[in-house]
Amino acid sequence: MTAGLRVLGVAGPKKAIKASSSSTTSTGKSARYYPADDVPRPKHSRAKKHNPPRVRPSLVPGTVCILLSGRFRGKRVVCLKSLESGLLLVTGPYKVNGVPLRRVNQAYVIGTSTRIDVSGVDVSYIDDSYFARSSSEVEGGEEEFFEKDAARAAIVSDKRRADQKKVDASILKVVDATPLMKNYLGSKFSLGKYDKPHKMVF
Amino acid sequence: MGFSRYVEVGRVVFINHGPDAGKIATVIDIVDQNKCLVDGPEEITGVKRQVISYKKVSLTDLKVTIQRNARAKTLKAAWAESDTLAKWEGSSWAKKLEAKKKRSSLSDFDRFKVMVAKKQKSRIIAQKIKELKA
Amino acid sequence: MTAAGLMRQYQVVGRKAATEENPNPEAYRMVIFAPNAVAAKSKFWYFMRQFRKMKKTTGEILDCVEIVEKNSRIVKNYGIWLRYDSRSGTHNMYREYRDLRLTGAVSQLYNEMAGRHRCRPRSIQIIRTATLGASELKRPNGMQFAQGGVKFPLPHRVDTAKRGQKALSDRTFSTVRPTTYFG
Repeated sequence: MTAGLRVLGVAGPKKAIKASSSSTTSTGKSARYYPADDVPRPKHSRAKKHNPPRVRPSLVPGTVCILLSGRFRGKRVVCLKSLESGLLLVTGPYKVNGVPLRRVNQAYVIGTSTRIDVSGVDVSYIDDSYFARSSSEVEGGEEEFFEKDAARAAIVSDKRRADQKKVDASILKVVDATPLMKNYLGSKFSLGKYDKPHKMVF
Repeated sequence: MGFSRYVEVGRVVFINHGPDAGKIATVIDIVDQNKCLVDGPEEITGVKRQVISYKKVSLTDLKVTIQRNARAKTLKAAWAESDTLAKWEGSSWAKKLEAKKKRSSLSDFDRFKVMVAKKQKSRIIAQKIKELKA
Repeated sequence: MTAAGLMRQYQVVGRKAATEENPNPEAYRMVIFAPNAVAAKSKFWYFMRQFRKMKKTTGEILDCVEIVEKNSRIVKNYGIWLRYDSRSGTHNMYREYRDLRLTGAVSQLYNEMAGRHRCRPRSIQIIRTATLGASELKRPNGMQFAQGGVKFPLPHRVDTAKRGQKALSDRTFSTVRPTTYFG
């Protein structure tokens, strides 16, 4: 028997006979039909499984962070947790400095030594999929494309609005307990002419 | 302008360069035109007995009465007797250094608090001046 | 030989290798300044073959120990007699230094000879050294620091605290001249 005649799934004539004889409807004959095509089998993959992203030890939930890029650069925000994707979940809170619940890359953040107790803030239901865009959000046809950018107000779902309110309320309770903390979060970080960020303690 | 600070036995110097930077020490003997022998005393200021270049030190106003080549024990006693460490810490030079150190160790939130306090202070001063002018 | 950093002082003892005719050759002891023991032993053979009919291939080193200063607590005056080869001839010289250790004084000597006479370490041979009292000093510069009650100001200095920084200050450029008078 040559290799070319081999059929996937059946080891060989001897085994086929054995298999058919062991079955109750044994006729003593080998199977008459066998699949004509090869059954695709997944290849052995050597792709490594990714470890969960490492988050800097300074960026624990409750850390006050300084955002360094994006439209909220310079703002001081509260880190709520790190998400599975390695991004940080932060919020201003929105009521204080206008930064909503938002994901940011930890590389574009300075973690300060100031901590806020966020154990009372429930953000367990917020994950990466919470921020996924719905297809209806990205509509707008050709016409609108040529219409030039007429400023459109961001459409914020009621759910997000409600979540933001809830989170803000619970953070503000803690923030108000520390004098000047609210003003601190409301102010923007900037460097003066002779400030040397590599020599500063945060 | 005459001079009041001299390189002499017993002169307290501030070390501003090298591993002992930021500490003070006492001149025990003069080696030559470039260097002198200093001793902390180690138990008080943390500076071991060593030869140090004048380039690495600044002279202070303080002086301790000791013999040339005084032992560590005698030096320590002389410091205790004249209360030199307290005198140094009471000087505006030491206070400035302390303030500088503190300032550089402040966190971001602390810097913000300082900024607010500064604003409040200048506001009060401006108000007072306004009252006095009126 | 180089004079890398601080010189050290070694006592090297060596002799001709023992043979059947002379099973117990005379041993010679020499005090040598060198940066390390290897250089000291090499220097020993250099001097030895000039003084006696001996060389490294037919000899042996019996002992090589470093000699450390007994009291490095106080500043002493050291007189050093030396011989050095300049570009035009060989000279004898006497110099005085103040230091905690003899090795420190010798290091100062090597540095000063290099600076004043462009003299390489290999062309310096130290003949004799001595610890001197203040009254035995011959050179005026050493003398003025050896006596008691020395007192002098440090005029016109630039604050060394800022020396390591750019342009004497935290900033790259400055519009003010540095303070040089510190009382």
